Amino acid sequence: MNALLTAAHLIAGEGSHDDKGLTTKSWIFPERAELIYGILASLIIFAVLVKFAGPTIKKGMTARTERIQKELDSAAADKASAATEASDIREAKGDIAGERQRLLAEADAQAAAMIADGATRLDEEVAELQARAAADIATARGRGTDELRAEISRLSSTAAERAVSESIDDATHQDLIEAFIQKVGASA
Amino acid sequence: MTDARIEGYARALFEIARAEGSLDEVEDELFRFARSYESSDALRNALTDDMIPAAKRQAIVEDLLGGKATETTTQLVSMVVGSGRGRDLPAIIDVLVDRASKSKNLEVAEVRTAVALTDDQQARLGAALANATGKQVNLKVVVDPSVLGGIIATVGDTVIDGTVRTRLDQLKARL
Repeated sequence: MNALLTAAHLIAGEGSHDDKGLTTKSWIFPERAELIYGILASLIIFAVLVKFAGPTIKKGMTARTERIQKELDSAAADKASAATEASDIREAKGDIAGERQRLLAEADAQAAAMIADGATRLDEEVAELQARAAADIATARGRGTDELRAEISRLSSTAAERAVSESIDDATHQDLIEAFIQKVGASA
Repeated sequence: MTDARIEGYARALFEIARAEGSLDEVEDELFRFARSYESSDALRNALTDDMIPAAKRQAIVEDLLGGKATETTTQLVSMVVGSGRGRDLPAIIDVLVDRASKSKNLEVAEVRTAVALTDDQQARLGAALANATGKQVNLKVVVDPSVLGGIIATVGDTVIDGTVRTRLDQLKARL
């Protein structure tokens, strides 16, 4: 830039040259010519920039805009997807609650059925055991009665045999023999 | 022993007794010996034990019957026991008795009583059995205390039971 300004000053012939170089009258503003040349140079440079760098910049900006737009679209899509997913989750949550209720109801029903079935089976088993016990008691009673009867019979017969054998004296023997002979003789 | 062998022994004993002229007596003694044999486990074991030598078994027979039975009876029993046929002695004797009775046209009538019968009772009983069965009988009396009282008579397949034992058994069965 300084080189350009120096060149502009040389072309314009303005300012003064001394041993210390060019100097201006104001310590704030440059010389008029310098200002004009500076503005012109700046415009030229700006035009060159617009001419050559503008499309690139514009293209970059457009690309950036598109990229940002794409990111925005993507974010919107993500947002929509998240909303959908949230909706699904909420729906699924509702379904889970319903499924939970259904499973609980089913479990309750199964438990009730099992309890009822168990109670029925228990009642049947109790009835069966009672019947079997009654039968066993009856059998044992019958067996006891039979055994008692057999024992009484055995004792009775033993006692009868002993009593008879002790009561049969010789006279009785003879009576029995004579009775047999008469009976056989009369049976012809 | 097979029936043929029992029959053979019985026929041999029968012929010997008849040849000796003492068939009735021998037959009666053999019958009573057979019943004693059946009722005595000790006698049966002694006469059938193969570990006892035959001579010893024959000596037992001669000790038992010597002086109480005829010589023929003793010799016949001794012969059967000595030949190792002691177990079949009752069967052989029963066939012999039956053969002897048949030879006289008689039917064996086995009579069991608790006490011995008098000769008069035996005669009347024989006549009564003959009257009842229609057969002349060869009366064989066995004193058997187990009948307790009364008489049981077996003539062939006919059994006439008038014993106290049977009545007690009937009572027992009824009980």
